[in-house]
Amino acid sequence: MRCARPVTSDGYQILSLDELETASHRGSNLIPVRHALGFRPAGVNAWKADTGGQLIPPHEEDGGGEELYVVVQGRARFTVGDEEADAGAGTLVFVPSEVFRTAIAAENSTIVFVVGGWVGRAFDVGGWDSFALANTYLQAGRVADARTVMEELIAQQPDYWPTSYNAGRFEAVADNSDAAFEHLRRAKRLDRAGESAQYFREDTRLDSLRDDPRFEELLA
Amino acid sequence: MNLVHVDDLDAIEMPDGFVWRPVRRHFGIQAFGTNAYTPGASGQTVEEHTEAQLEHQEIYLVLRGRVRFTIDGNEHELGPGQLVFVRDPSLRRGGVALTDDAAVLAVGGRPGQAHEVSTWEYVFVASPYVQAGRWDEAERLMQEGLEQKPGDPAMLYNFACLEARAGKRGAALGYLLAAVDANERFRTVAQTDEDFASIRDDPRFPR
Repeated sequence: MRCARPVTSDGYQILSLDELETASHRGSNLIPVRHALGFRPAGVNAWKADTGGQLIPPHEEDGGGEELYVVVQGRARFTVGDEEADAGAGTLVFVPSEVFRTAIAAENSTIVFVVGGWVGRAFDVGGWDSFALANTYLQAGRVADARTVMEELIAQQPDYWPTSYNAGRFEAVADNSDAAFEHLRRAKRLDRAGESAQYFREDTRLDSLRDDPRFEELLA
Repeated sequence: MNLVHVDDLDAIEMPDGFVWRPVRRHFGIQAFGTNAYTPGASGQTVEEHTEAQLEHQEIYLVLRGRVRFTIDGNEHELGPGQLVFVRDPSLRRGGVALTDDAAVLAVGGRPGQAHEVSTWEYVFVASPYVQAGRWDEAERLMQEGLEQKPGDPAMLYNFACLEARAGKRGAALGYLLAAVDANERFRTVAQTDEDFASIRDDPRFPR
């Protein structure tokens, strides 16, 4: 596997979905398109699986999140709400907010491309996809590659608190507490609405930091 | 389930030779811009254009067949599962099908901005009615756009084009003057626009 990033020029970039290194995410194989491109107008990613494998992790989008799934190759069995349908290459499936959706592959090497965003709100790079890639690298012992992914994510959206928060989670899991606290303090500073407080209290990925006196500052 | 195959979407052949498949409009998507394109008689699949005016970044993903893209003067042949991301809105880009079955999905928008339906979508959807001289239907679709984007200069300008072609001089001048009032750029554009040939002699025409 390799991280294909053939930058053709400063102004445009070409890539093949098949050539991007996949990341594990909630039982599915993510093709991290948004991260590879640094695309910011909307969320774009893809999922890949062989026959019987989970393509789209079971979930709902909330807060006005809309998603379009496009079968690029192979065949997928979608479940949306209470309905099931087979979708071959060239089929588009739209799922609005607060509707359950999942899909499994009905053929080998099935790829589904997904576009997502929120109604009436600019797309924010939350970074769950980059985090999935970093975590995959981390589990494979590729700590430097994982850290590069997180640094690229911060560079893409430096003032968005969830980005720094996710970088802090990553460093916590990587047992690098100094870097973790640096990112998490930055996340707390950027989060003017105080949305991160609940995450600091409940996120089990931060458990390795909880006995450190510095953690009290994050909960304050 | 809200599902459709790309071949079953409306197929609107545009005067520039490509076939527009209105994905966003089909599903009523509000969160982002997305459409599909298939080749017209000339083989053109992605319109030759820039996004300089809208400042949109765009991805073109080949769903089927082969397409030769020309991006900033460079040619690239792409097949299924390959995409080009045009980060710089000012770059000229277009795509010509190398196989009859080609289909391309486009996703675009302006970074950091909530999605707004682009004016060109209303112009595109009205286009077949304009070409067929079915002015009432074209007006209804443009009126829908104006209700969604009241005061939008490009919408007013395109409505003026439609009314001029329909022979409605007064309405055309009204929309054109409103467009120029909203954006002075349209005064210059109107001077050479063929759509206004029939009303350019009018003393009310903006000069």
